[in-house]
Amino acid sequence: MLLNLKKDSTKFPRLLIDDITKEVRLLERYTLKNLVAMLRSRDISSHEILDMYMQRISDHDTSLNCYITLNKDAALEKSIQADKLIESGDSLPLTGIPYAGKDIFCTQGIKTTCGSKMLENFIPPYDATVISNLNNQGAILMGKTNMDEFAMGSSNETSYFGPVHNPWDLARSPGGSSGGSAVAVAAGLAPIALGTDTGGSIRQPAAFTGITGLKPSYGRCSRYGMIAFASSLDQAGILALTAEDTAILLESLAGFDPLDSTSVETDVPKYSELLNTSIKGKTIGIPKEFFDEGLDSASEQLFFDAIKVYESLGVQFKDISLPHLSLSVPAYYVVAPAECSSNLARYDGIRYGYRHDGIKDLDDFYLTNRQIGFGAEVKRRIITGTYVLSAGYYDAYYLKAQKVRQLISQDFKEAFQNIDAIMGPTTQTPAFNIGEKIDDPVTMYMNDIYTISANLAGLPAISHPCGFVKDLPFGLQIIAPHFAETELLNLTHLFQQETNWHQKQPPDLNKI
Amino acid sequence: MTIKKSEIAYISSLSKLKMEDAEMENYSHQISDILKMIRQLEMVDTDDIEPMSHPLNMKQRLRVDVMTEENHRELYQKNAVEFEEGFYKVPKVID
Repeated sequence: MLLNLKKDSTKFPRLLIDDITKEVRLLERYTLKNLVAMLRSRDISSHEILDMYMQRISDHDTSLNCYITLNKDAALEKSIQADKLIESGDSLPLTGIPYAGKDIFCTQGIKTTCGSKMLENFIPPYDATVISNLNNQGAILMGKTNMDEFAMGSSNETSYFGPVHNPWDLARSPGGSSGGSAVAVAAGLAPIALGTDTGGSIRQPAAFTGITGLKPSYGRCSRYGMIAFASSLDQAGILALTAEDTAILLESLAGFDPLDSTSVETDVPKYSELLNTSIKGKTIGIPKEFFDEGLDSASEQLFFDAIKVYESLGVQFKDISLPHLSLSVPAYYVVAPAECSSNLARYDGIRYGYRHDGIKDLDDFYLTNRQIGFGAEVKRRIITGTYVLSAGYYDAYYLKAQKVRQLISQDFKEAFQNIDAIMGPTTQTPAFNIGEKIDDPVTMYMNDIYTISANLAGLPAISHPCGFVKDLPFGLQIIAPHFAETELLNLTHLFQQETNWHQKQPPDLNKI
Repeated sequence: MTIKKSEIAYISSLSKLKMEDAEMENYSHQISDILKMIRQLEMVDTDDIEPMSHPLNMKQRLRVDVMTEENHRELYQKNAVEFEEGFYKVPKVID
């Protein structure tokens, strides 16, 4: 129930007092579900919603840097159309709802940079399937969010367009590579956002910014139009304030796409109707390998406090082992760079992309375009990838990593025979400072230690807020068997009914 | 075991990347660190294990060889900087 909401658009307050919790909630931090209800009941118009977010972006994005491109005029125009549809009763499930899209998704006629100088001026001639799925449900794209270059990074510091700042502490990284999308949702610059997750790039920023982030199973959501980094690992996913919002969105995003040759033909459940199933008697495994070393002790305590909440809901826990977990980072940093070196070979400046003037020799043309177009981390991964695939090293590195990947996947398969899901912390610490790890690649790579194995095994995984360490958000991760997103959303939703970590807003948001 | 600059130079040429000497020095150290981390994979025996290239161990889906798309050449060439009569232009290759 919302108090103090007036229909007069010149005067409607942005502050609303929740009559149950008495908390002051900023309208921009209202959930997708609330916004849809308010639109339906005509308490607010789509145009007012878009106007409000555009104002907030104008006020705050200079310090956050979460948007690369804004689709302002077109979005405002669409919101007027949306209001007409709502008026006439012809609206669709997401009519009039704004969203932000990571700048890795091709959007027809709208610049798509992938956070790179290489694609600084690239305008795709088509929409990614997940983008058209949302648009076809009436949702309105507000803008393209900042990201680590070509999705390579865990801190949003490798972007050609500058780092994104964590709204909980502007000196800190929001995580990456979907840092822009995570911050947009956390700071109230969009109610929902699309991201991608190849090694943790949705879950880790969700954990660092105090929101919910879902990486669906490999093959669940189409990769058509999603600029490729590592094709056997990449997955489109969702950043939102709640499991409920995530479930609503997943219904629109998921599904077979003949245009993606790795898309899996399997039913899309009505996720939003399966959130309240009782979890009494569910068995969750906690891998002992997550607690070997590196986990902050305050963070570890928070995790076990969150476990107690699940226990109070009737969940049973048992210790399990994923024996090859420690090899997931090495295996990933063979497979992902190898695939990236292949996927990024297309960037030559001839048909699109950065193209240097006045070069007379073809070879020099390729070399110069790629030298200037790509940043350091991207080059590092291309070189690593090319090395592990090269003659004399292919068997020792790439083939070996593929076999270890099979072992890691088998560990999960075995574990899931006796348990419904796996839980652990999403990261070892809360958000680190910008500049702290960027000069040491291996230290940066170790950030992904808890998230990477789900990508290697193609499993769905979610991160949700479970508390604070020194005033910084901390996330809990749940991993489920293939295509068991229902399980992840159900567990998270019930946790969010019992707790209010997901409702905490960055301090600045309470100031008017 | 540090990867030699000459190896970095060779690998860079394979991937059509060029760099200054100082950059190459830097990359050679960083990539040596990465390779050291990667060599942990040697710890495990994988003799009878099938390599995994698809996380669901699926085979490539095929379809009937029937045309389903139209040629959108003009639309797709909007991002090209130099082209003529539908062809992309590049620096001269043949003398």
